[in-house]
This record gives sequence, C-alpha cells and structure tokens, in this order.
Amino acid sequence: MATDLLGRPTTEVEDELLELYRRAKALLARDDLAPCARAGARVAAVGLWNAVNDLGLEYEQLLDLGA
Amino acid sequence: MGAGEYWNPKTETLGRDELAALQLAKLRRLCEWAAARSPFYQRSFKEAGFAPEQLRSLDDLRRLPLLTREEWMASQGEQPPFGLLPVAGREAAIRWHTTSGTTGREPIRVLDTAKDWAWQAEMWCYGLWGFGVRPADTAYVAFGYGSFIGFWGLHYGLEKLGALNVPGGAQPTEGRVKQIVDFGATVVASTPTYALRLAQEAERLGIDLAASPVERLILSGEPAGSIPQTKALIERLWGAKAGDTAGMTEIGTIMVFECRHQPGGTHIIEDHYIEEVVDPGSGEPVGYGEAGERVVTSFGRGIIPLLRYRTADLVTKVPASRCACGRGFDLYEGGILGRVDDMKLVRGTNVYPRAVEGIVREFDGIEEFQLLLTREGHFDRIALRVEPAPATSEEAWTEMAGKLAKALAEAHEGLRFEVERAEAGELPRFELKARRTVDRRDTPIGG
Repeated sequence: MATDLLGRPTTEVEDELLELYRRAKALLARDDLAPCARAGARVAAVGLWNAVNDLGLEYEQLLDLGA
Repeated sequence: MGAGEYWNPKTETLGRDELAALQLAKLRRLCEWAAARSPFYQRSFKEAGFAPEQLRSLDDLRRLPLLTREEWMASQGEQPPFGLLPVAGREAAIRWHTTSGTTGREPIRVLDTAKDWAWQAEMWCYGLWGFGVRPADTAYVAFGYGSFIGFWGLHYGLEKLGALNVPGGAQPTEGRVKQIVDFGATVVASTPTYALRLAQEAERLGIDLAASPVERLILSGEPAGSIPQTKALIERLWGAKAGDTAGMTEIGTIMVFECRHQPGGTHIIEDHYIEEVVDPGSGEPVGYGEAGERVVTSFGRGIIPLLRYRTADLVTKVPASRCACGRGFDLYEGGILGRVDDMKLVRGTNVYPRAVEGIVREFDGIEEFQLLLTREGHFDRIALRVEPAPATSEEAWTEMAGKLAKALAEAHEGLRFEVERAEAGELPRFELKARRTVDRRDTPIGG
C-alpha cells in the first residue's frame, strides 16, 4: 500500500495523481519528444508536481528533467 | 469550517506534530539536494560539520549554519552573477529576477526553473484563496511588471485559481483608477502605500471607490498592510477588506498571508516553509509572543536551496489557535513588524517608523509624510514632514500639526518631533516599497 510523506495510506484520488505524475515524468525523460510535446509534458509534470507536493505525497526536484 | 475555506485542506488543517513530521521529511530531502548540488552548501556544511543524515528531528535544524544576506552577496562577488548558492546555471532557468534595490545596495540576483516558477504561483494561491478570492472574481494587479519579482507570482496565482486577471502594467495612477472602475474589479492587488495613492487619485477624479465593486485588497511589499491604523484607513477609503501578505525575492513568493477571518496577523504557510524566530544578537530561538528575527527555510525554489536564511524581518510568532479559521499554521502577530535595524535612537529614545505611521494614519487628510533625522553638532533632530491635502487651510494645518506633535511626543517618552508642512507634491510618491524614513545623521543609532 502506498503512503504519503507522513506514512499515512494514500487515498484513491491521491494514487491517481501520483500515477499521472510518474507518467508525466517518464514522458519528460524521453529523448524523442517534439518540442511542442516536450513543452506540454513539462507543463503537465510541473502542475502535477505542485499537486503531489501540496498533498505531501512526494517531494523531489525536477531539474534533471528540464523543469 | 468547510473544506471550501482552504486551498489545500489536507495540510492546512494538520496538527502541529503532523506538520513537523512533514517538514522534517522535506527538510531531509532538501538538505540532501543542497549537499549534492550546491557549491555554497557543500562548503558551509563541511565547515559546520553537518551532514543531512544527522537530521533526526526538527531540533536538528539548528545544526545547520545560518545564512546571511552578506554571505549571499559575497558569494555573488566570488562567482558573478549568481554566486555559489545555485545548483545549476542560467541555462536551466526560465526566469531571472532581482531584489527591488530600494535599500541602495547591490541587488540579489535569482533564477527560477519552470517548476520553481509554478510553485511561486502556488504559494500565492494559498493566500488568495485564504482571503476569499474565488474564480468568479475580477482582479486588478496594480504592478509595473519589471525585474523586481513583486506581484509576478500573484499574477499567475490568480490565473491558476481561475480568476479573471487584469494586469495593470506600467501606466499613470489615473489610468489605473479608471480601469479598476471600468473593468468592474472585485479584487485589487497593490502595496499598502499605493492603495492609498490610488484612493487619493480616485478622490481627485471624483470617483467614489467605496461605491465600486471592489470587495478585497491584497496588500504586499510593506509592513503597513498589518499596521491597524493604515489598514483601517485603506478599508474605509475603498469600502473593502484589506488582507496582508508578505514575501521576499530570496524565496520568490509569499510565505505568509492573512486569512478572511482577519485575526490581526498572518498565517505562515508551514507545509512549504520552516520559519524560526531568533534573538537577533545571539541567534538563539525565542518563544511564542516574543519579538525576534525571522529565519526561513524554503522547500520551494529548487535551483537556489534556501536553508536558515536570516531575513532581518522583525516578527512575533503566536500559535495557530489565535485564529478561528481552523488552520494549523502559526501566525505572525501584526504581520512583519519591520526590520531588525529599523529602530532609530534619537536623544536616548527608541523611535520605530511603524509606530510613527500608526499615529500619522489616525489623522484624516494627510496625503504623504516623511520622517527626517538630522544632526546639528551633537544634537539629533527628528522632524515629521507632512503633506496635507491641498485644500487644508493654515488654521486647520496648525491645529493638525499641534495634535500630531502631541501624539508623537506622548508615544515617545516626551521626545519632541518637529512637525513641518511640506508643499503639495513635494514628498516622494511610491508605487512599490515606500521609504519614508530619511536618516541624514553621520552616525545613526546613537553612535
């Protein structure tokens, strides 16, 4: 079972946010994205980073992914 | 309290122990990041004998060295233009901003990545939402949009929460007043000083702002947003509620905001910051209710990690329970009280510009004022230069000056303030941070 930074079990909605966040990061890590796709993926990853950070689900830096 | 009260119900209502656990988890990761990537922290951690794995509780935060503005500036000199704090160069960033330069010192230069920049808007969302701004609002941003970071984060925060954003941009005050009315703004963002300036201009134009749709003013940039007399004057002139916020370029955004309950202080956004209050002399922590210097650790800007930064802001922290809003975030009573070095010593008496402003704002019909300190031989003089409304008669001015001098003396152990009338338009006007205290003594603070 996934937990947040406080060690509490995550909710269904939080699991979905985390999954989307991880997929956005994985997309940003690819080297075959068109500039328009990379820019969009970056906006998505950054937006989801704020959500998972606010909710205490994940806290990390995205610098190495260009964000 | 309904969930609609909070931007982030989960963390805004955490208990103190849970909040501390969240801060510790983030602090460990931030320190690991700084130790791995920042040349400045690699050096300072080594000198202090600190390693991130030593962080077992929040008390261990004090193992980290304090960071001063002087050290930051020296670092910029050592490796221009950004110094040794950043973990990456300008190629990793999408924004370059500087401090406002109002102190006359060399500005601090900061970078932000895309993630950092979006986080700054997020912090403003906590404050905007907390003061009652909602997607249905039309918000007017009275800001010049330059290299000073100022209200940039608020601009994007408004968009993020879904409000209709009207960027005021660089234009004369008259144009801004007319736009606020023409666009039907329900929210206006500005410095406290400029909120007063806008109200003066509206009066000159024959516009009754109190009758306009404006319901909320978001104030930032100066301590005056929490000076009761100044806030009351702004609220009366606008017929709207005024909410204080405070931020700084060094973190890029706000770290405190006043909620809609207006508890006489500002909540610290404690899931994104650790705010310590220390004795300015010893650096030792002070307790609830005691004034001290703000020291901030920010979990936001990743490209410039900020750990235990001495802000020189004077604050008094009080428990979250002081406010009825239900947040678990502690407050700064009275907001930012001023700067640690604000206090002026005049003939043996302490003079705080904030206290002087509080007295001045109790008087109607004052357009602008300035506190002027000079020295003649060994004798310090303190003058309050006042620009009354142009229509003020000599008789009315004489009466006002007498009352002002009496109120100022009574509040300062009998110290005599010379109250002088300035010509209309003579004193400087401010759009951003006001600087109304001018100290022309060679050796200030009694030296």
